[in-house]
Amino acid sequence: MVQLHGDLVMKTARRLHGDLRTVCRRRDVRIVTLDFSEAGRIDSSGIAVVSLIAKQLARAGKKLDLTGLADHHKAALDLMPKQEPEVERPEPPPGAIEALGGAVIEAGSGARALLALIADIVRQSLAVVTRRKRLPAGALTHQIATMGVSGLFIVGLLSFLLGMTMAFQGAVQLQRFGAGVFVADMISVSMVREIAPLMTAVMITGRTGAAIAAELGTMRVRSEIDALSTMGINPVRFLIVPRIAAITLVGPALSLMGMFIGIGGGMLVAWGALDMPPIMFWQRITERVTALDFLHGVGKSLVFAWIIGVTASHLGMRTGGDALSVGNATTRTVVVSILAIIIVDAIFATISTLLRYS
Amino acid sequence: MSTPLIECRGVSVGYDEKPVLENVDFVIEQGEIVTLLGGSGCGKSTMLRSLTGLLPPLAGEMLVLGKPLYDLSLEERNELLKKTGTAFQQDALFGSMSVADNVALPLRELTSLPEAVIKEMVRMRLFMVGLPGSEKKLPTSMSGGQRKRAALARASILDPVIMFCDEPSAGLDPAVAATIDDTLNHFRDALNITIVVVTHELESIRAISDRVIMFGRGSVMARGTVDELMASKDPEIFNFFHRVAERPDDTGALEQLTR
Repeated sequence: MVQLHGDLVMKTARRLHGDLRTVCRRRDVRIVTLDFSEAGRIDSSGIAVVSLIAKQLARAGKKLDLTGLADHHKAALDLMPKQEPEVERPEPPPGAIEALGGAVIEAGSGARALLALIADIVRQSLAVVTRRKRLPAGALTHQIATMGVSGLFIVGLLSFLLGMTMAFQGAVQLQRFGAGVFVADMISVSMVREIAPLMTAVMITGRTGAAIAAELGTMRVRSEIDALSTMGINPVRFLIVPRIAAITLVGPALSLMGMFIGIGGGMLVAWGALDMPPIMFWQRITERVTALDFLHGVGKSLVFAWIIGVTASHLGMRTGGDALSVGNATTRTVVVSILAIIIVDAIFATISTLLRYS
Repeated sequence: MSTPLIECRGVSVGYDEKPVLENVDFVIEQGEIVTLLGGSGCGKSTMLRSLTGLLPPLAGEMLVLGKPLYDLSLEERNELLKKTGTAFQQDALFGSMSVADNVALPLRELTSLPEAVIKEMVRMRLFMVGLPGSEKKLPTSMSGGQRKRAALARASILDPVIMFCDEPSAGLDPAVAATIDDTLNHFRDALNITIVVVTHELESIRAISDRVIMFGRGSVMARGTVDELMASKDPEIFNFFHRVAERPDDTGALEQLTR
């Protein structure tokens, strides 16, 4: 016989549950009687405790009696489910082999979707170029403004600081061999061929690629992309082609700007720290850097820009239905783009070395 | 008579200093289901946002459970809000958690109940809203009606004194809408929860409302029982309850053009 006092509410439920369980476990107890005559209010947690105790007693082959129930107690206890519902078990997690197979199939379908997207982008872009279809009014200018103009400052600052840092580092090393004058060669060649395209691409990935993926992903979640499809408007032409077109222009342009600003930063340090007049610096550059170097750097930026644009569009469009997957798409865009950019950069370096035009 | 649970006196609500509703007075008593209704854009959802602590009113006095909601310190306000539950129009379930984890979240975060009791409470609450056995499901794998019911389970799991529901049965088939209405009535009768509902589903309004507060023309347009409002001769109220289409008066347009 257990006498209940006071309210059976969330604040007291932990103690009540503990005490009652101890009582029910005792071997000498066969029948537990809960007397509610002194009990006050009962809330959901109180009902849950009574329900749990009832189940525990039933399992042990013991009996539960309730006495002194007021009307509100009866009404509340009536809320207990009469029969035990079957909990629907989700499918068990796949084993190692199944998981591997799933990953392969997933990768395959991802690759197919990526190729289909690239084909669609090419088709739609051609249709736009040949004037058979139009881009949405003002979309291209808007995209160029958001991607390019607002990125000018940060790309410029980054290149300038990198140029300066390289000049300082290079000056110290080269002076030990009495070759301080070659700092101009070093900075200009590495800026034009390597650093500016790479750093600009990394900045564009973080700024623009992530934004594209998040934007498209959110549109997917809000069914806006489905809305376009049902209107008979091709989402690739409407959403992706303007972004790819803008990034095609913006990527090389920002990178070109980065090259000159980076060289400018180096020139400043060479002047200040090495007493190398800018005119001499410039002379060395014009002797050393060829149009082919610029073509190499700008061409690379173009490829990087496409990698970023296509990766972000692909992952954004494949977003699932919840908030988590938008975050995933954004993260993966940044990671995959940067990885792909560095791999492609290595390929560029290998090819150019083999062709001996470096 | 006990003090009312919600009391609004001369309240204005709106965004950016532009009031949508002005000079609103009403009280909500313990144990009733009150429906806030009105045409689209009349400000009823804005009012609800204000009552749930998301949007300070522009003017007037708003007492929730006898306390001035927006004059309290952040801690006091959170204490007060723990005694209320809100079910949003979009279910607002966390997509990365199972239904059981969604419903158990307030219990795990705000109480010190043992896990066994929490599980049992979640099981009982899901049974109450008509989703027995769906503990392990993810919200994305459920239908709209099931998600709304799971949201009701989460909003009510702490046995709140007041529950706010924004369009609980909008966009659902009549049978599922009836289940939700039933659940709300059940919450009021069995758990003694006072419920404030925003809706414009006529069937639901009839099925659940003890009292109706109708917004329109920038303030409270009418209040009373459903029957009283149905009998109203006011053209706007009549049109609302008898589904009369409203169109701008276009008679004589041709005449005007050719005049």
